Amino acid sequence: MDTIKSMRWVDFFLYAITDPGALYRQIQKNEPRPLVLSFAVPVFAALTGIIAGSLVGVESRFFYSKLTYGWLLSVVSSLFTIVAAAALMDAFAQFLGYRGNMKEMMALVNFSQLPKIFVLPLVLIFRTIHFAPPFFYVLFSVLVALWSAFIVVKGIAEMHDSGAGRAVIIFLFPYLLAGVTVFLMLVLGVLYLVRYVSG
Amino acid sequence: MDRNRKILIAILAVVAFSAVLAIVDISLTMQERQTMAPSIGIPQVGPGVGVVRIEGPIDFSDSSSPFGMLSGAEAAIKRLDEMSRNPNIRAIVLRINSPGGTVGATQEIYQKLMNLRKRNVVVVASMGEIAASGGYYIASACSRIVANYGTITGSIGVIIMAPNLRQLFDKLGINMAVIKSGKYKDILSSFREMTPEERELIQEIIDSSYQKFVSDVSLGRNLSRDDILPVADGRIMTGNKALECKLVDVIGTFEDAVNEARKLAKLPEDSAVYDEVKSPFQQLLFSMEGMYRGRSAGLLERSFGFGGYNIVQYRYQP
Repeated sequence: MDTIKSMRWVDFFLYAITDPGALYRQIQKNEPRPLVLSFAVPVFAALTGIIAGSLVGVESRFFYSKLTYGWLLSVVSSLFTIVAAAALMDAFAQFLGYRGNMKEMMALVNFSQLPKIFVLPLVLIFRTIHFAPPFFYVLFSVLVALWSAFIVVKGIAEMHDSGAGRAVIIFLFPYLLAGVTVFLMLVLGVLYLVRYVSG
Repeated sequence: MDRNRKILIAILAVVAFSAVLAIVDISLTMQERQTMAPSIGIPQVGPGVGVVRIEGPIDFSDSSSPFGMLSGAEAAIKRLDEMSRNPNIRAIVLRINSPGGTVGATQEIYQKLMNLRKRNVVVVASMGEIAASGGYYIASACSRIVANYGTITGSIGVIIMAPNLRQLFDKLGINMAVIKSGKYKDILSSFREMTPEERELIQEIIDSSYQKFVSDVSLGRNLSRDDILPVADGRIMTGNKALECKLVDVIGTFEDAVNEARKLAKLPEDSAVYDEVKSPFQQLLFSMEGMYRGRSAGLLERSFGFGGYNIVQYRYQP
């Protein structure tokens, strides 16, 4: 209760937006404990993501299913993605000779999702004034994705006291791995399909 | 620092508030669209007409699919059963689009419909593209038959087909060793010619099934056998010709059949229609099932498009 009253927990969110380097230093201090709190970000971001997406489309009663079951599904999938990405980044950082710290990496990736929640109010504004909400939804989504990436890269650079280049490589590693995997699966799929059709 | 924290909390509160606003906005837009949507005039609640669809060959084979979904005659009987127990269903429209099928499956549906009729349930048949042979057999159990002008119907008769591949096997040098307990055990075998005794035996089965067909149509249509026999030679006919031969009651569409059912059940004109609408998920399962069946079908079935060999059938088989 004292921790909540002290408002120190707000610093994580504040630094995530204003100074990602300071965010990592705050995570490292472990005061208050950041890991559990950090999971609130993807949970809330999943909800705002669903609502923002629904704002630009034509909705039916399925919207309420999206808001309940869809939200749970989205939270589970984003948590899985975050844990997998953080684990791969941490593993690759260790491969490059840095020390590993999965907990700190996970908290950092979680807090980096914070900018995503801002898509909702921005899209709501453009929907209210009826000014190309789908366009701005895509635009803001791209911008906040870049912002999130920037937070992780700055955090990794601070974490390992490395240059931005190496931090970018560590950050990109899971995505490159996923890309290569998907590409190989596609090649295998096409080969199988060709064999199936010709057979 | 405290000031920055407060600003951030305010920003988070604004985001939370905008989430609430967005949900309300989406809900209101949805409601508005629903009220502005053109009314179709058919409330899907309360007493109404149930629709049962009979599509394709009527049989019991593969009635439970690998995805656990009932299909074919089994599914139709189950749906008729459910509808007869549902207090909201006051009449049933049986939409038939079938060239017929196996004797057992056809007779089971016919019997089910006759039982419903005995319990004063209104059942109206609506013929689609084709309702021939077994398709007509089950239609004859309905209180009224509505056919399109060009519906292919009739084909009152029984058929059995067995391919004779003996010459082909001789060419290929294939011999089949058959050890049997009685001389008729491999009747309709594809590996040898049919004997006259076997032909006679099969003809007896065909004749018996044919007599049952004619008597059941006579009972269902409330006609004498003499009225039916002149057209019960396997001939197909259009809906219009069938009307002349008293095999159908009215020329009309599916909607006409629904209205006829409403009229007979004394339901209001805008009463509900409970159709067999499948969810997208069910449709996906059915299409997957179709793919599975396509892959697992036998050579003859795949080559000739159907698998009706060596089975006595009420089926229009061009």
